[in-house]
Amino acid sequence: MSDVSMDKKLKGKDLITIGIFSAIYFVINFIFMLMGGIHPVLWMLMPGFIAVFAGIPFMLMVAKVQKPGAVFLMGLITALIYFATGQFTLVILVAMASTCILSEIVRGITKYNSFKGNSIAYVIYSLGMVGSPLPIWLFKKDFLAQIAEQGMPLDYVSAVEALSSNAMLIVLIVAPIIGGIIGAFIAKGLFQKHFVKAGIV
Amino acid sequence: MSSLSRNHTLKIDPRTELLLLVMANVVAFTQHSVWVEITWVVLLLLLIIVCGCKKAAGKLAVAFGIFLFLQYYVFPNGPKMIASSFTIIVSYARKIFPCLIVGTLILQKTPVREFMVSLRKCHIPQGLIIPLSVTIRYFPALKEEVGYIRDAMKLRDIHGAEKIECLLVPIMISAATTAEELSAAAVTRGIENPAQKTSMIDMKFGVQDFVCLALGAVFCVISIAVG
Repeated sequence: MSDVSMDKKLKGKDLITIGIFSAIYFVINFIFMLMGGIHPVLWMLMPGFIAVFAGIPFMLMVAKVQKPGAVFLMGLITALIYFATGQFTLVILVAMASTCILSEIVRGITKYNSFKGNSIAYVIYSLGMVGSPLPIWLFKKDFLAQIAEQGMPLDYVSAVEALSSNAMLIVLIVAPIIGGIIGAFIAKGLFQKHFVKAGIV
Repeated sequence: MSSLSRNHTLKIDPRTELLLLVMANVVAFTQHSVWVEITWVVLLLLLIIVCGCKKAAGKLAVAFGIFLFLQYYVFPNGPKMIASSFTIIVSYARKIFPCLIVGTLILQKTPVREFMVSLRKCHIPQGLIIPLSVTIRYFPALKEEVGYIRDAMKLRDIHGAEKIECLLVPIMISAATTAEELSAAAVTRGIENPAQKTSMIDMKFGVQDFVCLALGAVFCVISIAVG
């Protein structure tokens, strides 16, 4: 990959590489998303779970396409597919786009090829999935109003309130940070064990 | 392309579908009245029936009915454990239900090819369209791949956490190879040609598109105004 540093514009090959790894990332993401449907708590922890397992396609793509825009495209594609199939709201597009831009900035500063820089970029990128359960908090007023309207008992209201409390919001945000760090190290381990030997990176 | 195709179903422009999706989002975030919601859902269901998704529309209608039933009868009367764990998911699903309906329409009735042409017509840069179409088309290949790897794992009797590594590593390696091969093929076919791309598909807005968008706009206004 000696010609990488010469030209920073994404070419056909880079675009296709991004597309393929985005597909893998999306599938991993989607599996955990389905699990999130079981219980709201799982859903809130889901960005963290995704971060643990999706580090491999992300880190491999970042290693292969050392140019600006790769991460941004990956995030945008994920968010767009979720949005276009009607599973998520506009919130996820906004969340993904903003974390991806931050992630790109980190990659730019760290010159695209340091493990540390890419890991930080990955952690920030993982935060974008927070946009999926975030509407729980945005719709909170509606939820509670509706529950009150139905004349639900008090302990029930408090159970729902606890799920959408500020403490849970912190859990939601911290989970992908921890997950992202673990995911980056898993990817590093696999890189050394397999991918470097196979001559892929 | 005529608005009525051979099997007498309405054809809607992919751009209209995307705009409807945005409108469905706006309505989801602004409306607070059950009646506005139900009318909006019924209208959208009618739309996808006219477009030929009869089965899906039936399923969605039943699902929506179940959600309403759960929220208004089961949750207030049933055991609290069930109610408190499922309220959030059911309420959320109900909120985004219109998005799901439009999403179903896009998934079932819009070929990837048409979708890409419409994105190109919206002046979305080629840099996004290419990876997006690669992603969507790589899903079936990925599924096939996973099937083969599963078979191989069964033969070698691999269990537990090792399974994840044994699944992910071959996928990654084959993905990297596919990327190389596909790029070589695509570059040969002129993917990097900067000239304006042409297409067999002729895409135009018809009466039906304007009607849909007008109705969508009316609902946006109502839900913002009524609140």
